Amino acid sequence: MNVLFGLVSAMVVGATPILLAAIGGTFTFYAGIFNIAMEGMMLVGAFCAVLGSFFLHSWFLGVLCAIAGALIMAGIFILFAVKLHTDEFLTGIALNLFAVGLTTFLLRDIFHVKGAFTDAGIRAIPSVKLPLIDGIPFLGRLLSGYNLIVYVAVLATVLSAFVIFRTRFGLRLRAAGYNAVCLNSSGVPASMIRIWSLIVCAVCCGLAGAYLSLGYVRLFAENMSAGRGWISLAAVILVSGNPWGIAVISLLFGFFDGLTVFLQGSRIPTQFTAMIPYVATLGSLYLYSVRKKRRQA
Amino acid sequence: MARDVLIDLQHITKVFPPDTVALADVSVSFESGEIHALVGENGAGKSTLMKVFYGLERRDAGDIFFRGAKVEFRTPREAIAAGIGMVHQEILLIPEYTVWQNIVLGAEPVSAFGTIDVHRAREAVRQKIEEFQFNLDPDTLVGDISVAARQKVEILKLLYRNVSVLVLDEPTAVLTPQEIPQLFTELARLRDKGHTIIFISHRLDEVLTLSDRVTVMRRGKIVGTSAASKLTKEDLARQMVGREVLFTSRRQPQEPGEIVFRAQGLNCSDTEHRARLHDANVEVRAGEIVGVAGVEGNGQFELVNAIMGLVPMTSGTLEVKGKDITHADILTRRTLIAFVPQDRGKMGASLAASILEDAIMTHHILDPRFRTWKGLGLNYRHAAEFVDQIRDQFAVNMGHLSDPFHSLSGGNQQKVILGRELLLETPFVLMDQPTRGLDVGSIEYVHQLLLALRSKKRAVLLISADLDELFMVADRIVVMCQGDVVADLATDATNGEEVGYYMLGGKKDAAHAETDS
Repeated sequence: MNVLFGLVSAMVVGATPILLAAIGGTFTFYAGIFNIAMEGMMLVGAFCAVLGSFFLHSWFLGVLCAIAGALIMAGIFILFAVKLHTDEFLTGIALNLFAVGLTTFLLRDIFHVKGAFTDAGIRAIPSVKLPLIDGIPFLGRLLSGYNLIVYVAVLATVLSAFVIFRTRFGLRLRAAGYNAVCLNSSGVPASMIRIWSLIVCAVCCGLAGAYLSLGYVRLFAENMSAGRGWISLAAVILVSGNPWGIAVISLLFGFFDGLTVFLQGSRIPTQFTAMIPYVATLGSLYLYSVRKKRRQA
Repeated sequence: MARDVLIDLQHITKVFPPDTVALADVSVSFESGEIHALVGENGAGKSTLMKVFYGLERRDAGDIFFRGAKVEFRTPREAIAAGIGMVHQEILLIPEYTVWQNIVLGAEPVSAFGTIDVHRAREAVRQKIEEFQFNLDPDTLVGDISVAARQKVEILKLLYRNVSVLVLDEPTAVLTPQEIPQLFTELARLRDKGHTIIFISHRLDEVLTLSDRVTVMRRGKIVGTSAASKLTKEDLARQMVGREVLFTSRRQPQEPGEIVFRAQGLNCSDTEHRARLHDANVEVRAGEIVGVAGVEGNGQFELVNAIMGLVPMTSGTLEVKGKDITHADILTRRTLIAFVPQDRGKMGASLAASILEDAIMTHHILDPRFRTWKGLGLNYRHAAEFVDQIRDQFAVNMGHLSDPFHSLSGGNQQKVILGRELLLETPFVLMDQPTRGLDVGSIEYVHQLLLALRSKKRAVLLISADLDELFMVADRIVVMCQGDVVADLATDATNGEEVGYYMLGGKKDAAHAETDS
C-alpha cells in the first residue's frame, strides 16, 4: 500500500511542472505560435523564484518573481517573433540557450556557487491539506497534502479548457491559429491575441519553474528544468492542444519519472533509469502515430 | 428609376513604386440600390480601385465621398463600421468552425465571464439566414460545405455586421457554372432589399445578366459607364480590350487524319476506392480537337491524371501514335503528350521559381542541348535562347528571365506554359481548362492557338467547363457523367441543349453512339 501511495505521490510531483508548462504551451499552440520557449521560461522562473524567496524572505514573493522572470522572457519572444516577425523556432532556441547561460551566470555572480545553490533562507511553497477530503481515510492520503502549486496546476487545467472552448477570447485564440488573416479581417488583430497567449504561457511556465525550485526541492541547480519544457511541448503537440489530453500525458510522464526515483535503489544504473521518461515519450509518439495512421486508412 | 449617388470616387490615382500607374485619375460613382459591375481585363485596376476605397491600399491622390460626406477608411474595420463590406476573391473562413462561429467571430455576443452567448449568436445568425433566404445550417462546419456555400457565409458575415454596401471581387471565379445562377438570384434579392452591390468581374455574360450598370476599366482608366441593358457582349469586349474580339468560330472544315490518341476501357478509383472512371473510351485523330464536357467532378480529373500517369489505373490501355503507354513512366509520356494542367500555380509551374526555370521544365531533361558538362550542368545560354523563343512565338509580356514566375499576369503565365508544352512538338496535346481565369484577350489567344494546332495536324483533347468554348473550337464533344463517357457527339450535329442533357445524366444507354464522325 505504501508503495502505491509513494508511486502516486511521485507521479503527481513529476507531472505538475510538465502539466503547467504544457497548459501554457497549449494557449500559444492554439494561437498558432510555434513556441518552444517553455523550457527557457521555466528555467528563468525557477531561478527567479529562488532569488525572490531568498532575498525577500517570502515564498509568495518568490512565486511572483518567477512569474515576472518568465514574463520578461515572453516579452523578448513577443518583441522578436510577434513584432519583428523573426522565425519563431530560432527565437525559441535562442531564448532557451540564453536562459541556461543567464541563470548559470547569475547563479555564480549572485550566490557565488557552482552547480547548485541551496540555503536554509530559501522559503518553500507550503503544502496544503484539503479541508473535508483530508479527513477521509484512503482518499485523503491520495488527494490531500500536496504542494500548493499542484492544486494550482489542476485549477489551471480546468480553467484553460473553459477559456479555450467557451469564451470569446478562446474563439478568437483558436481563430488566430486556424487562420490569422481571417481573424484580422474580422476586425480582431491576431497579433494582440498572440501576445496575450504568450503572456498566459509565461505565467504558467513561471509557476512551473517556481514549483521546481521551491516546491519539488528547495534549491536552484544549473539547467534544472532538464528538458521538461520540451516534454511539455511534446505533450501539447501529441494531443493537439487538448487540456484534458495534456493532463493524461503529463501524469503518464510523471509516472515514469516517479518510477525512475523508485528504481534508483535497485541495481539498475541511475543513468539508465533516468532515460525511462524520455524513452516513454518516444514510445508514446510511436503509438500515437501508428494509431493515427490506422485511423486514416 | 432615379437613384441617389451613394459612393463617389473622384480623381483616384494610385502608383505602385517605382512607376507602375495602377489607377490614373479614376472617377466613378455608385448609386444606392443598384448592382454595379466593374469590369476590365486582369490588371486593369478594378480590384485596386476597390481596395483603395475599402482602406486596404493607400492612394496617392483623389477623394472618396460616401453618402455625400468625404470619408477616409484606414482599415477594413472602419469601412465595415460605416456599412461597407468586401468579399475577397479567396475565401477567408475557418474550416474548423461552424457557420455561426465564423459569422460572429470578431463581433460575438457575450454573457458572464466573457463566455459566448451561444443561444443569442445562433439565433441572430439564423435570423439573417432566414431574412435573406440563404439556405444554410448555422451548425455545420464550414469545412464540410461547398465553396458556393462558403461564399454565402462570407456574405452573411458582412450582413451580420449590418453593411448596406457589398463589394464582391470576382465572386464567380471559385464557383462551378451550376452554382452561379443561385448566387445571382441571391444578389438580386439583396439589391431588392435595398443593398448596393459592386461586382468585380471579367466574365462578360455574367456582367450583362446580373448588373444594372456597368463601368469598364482599361489599364488603370475608366473607359465608360453605361446601363447594362444598352450593352452587348461585343461592346463590352471591345471596350475592355480596346479592339474587336472575335467570339464566333473560325474552325475551317478539315478531314481528320489517323488516330493519334486512343484510350480504351479506362477504369480508375480514388483514394477511398470509389470508382471514378468506368470503361472510358476516347479517341483523338490527327488534326482534330476533341472536347470533354461535363459537370466538374464527373471523372474529368481522373481521366487527365490517368492519361498523364499521375494516378494508377485499375484497367484499360492508353496508346499514342500506335505506341502503348499504359505502363509507361511519366517522362516517356511527356515525349508524346504536351500537357497544360488545370492548376497553373500548382501543377503547371512553380510560382516561386524563375521564369526561365519554369519555361525549360521537362525540356531540360529531354533535350540534350540544355545540358553541359556531360549532363551535370545546365546550358544557360541555350535556356535563355529557348525562353526568348517562347516569348517571341507566344507573345509573352514579361520582365527579366530571372524574375519569379508569379510576377507574370495570369494570361502571361499561361502563355509561358503553353509555349513550353507546345514546343515539345508532341503528336498529342492534352489541355485541361486552359482558359480558366484568363481575361478575354488571353482566351481569344488560346482559342487561336488551339485552331492553329488543329491545322498543323496535331491531336488535341480539350477538357473545358465552358460549353461555348467547346462549340467554338472542338470537332467532337465527349460528355462525361459520373465517370462514364455518356456521349460522343459531332459538334456540328449537336447543340448546347443536347450536351447539357447528357451532362446532367440523361440517356445513359446511348453511350458511345457515335465513335467516329
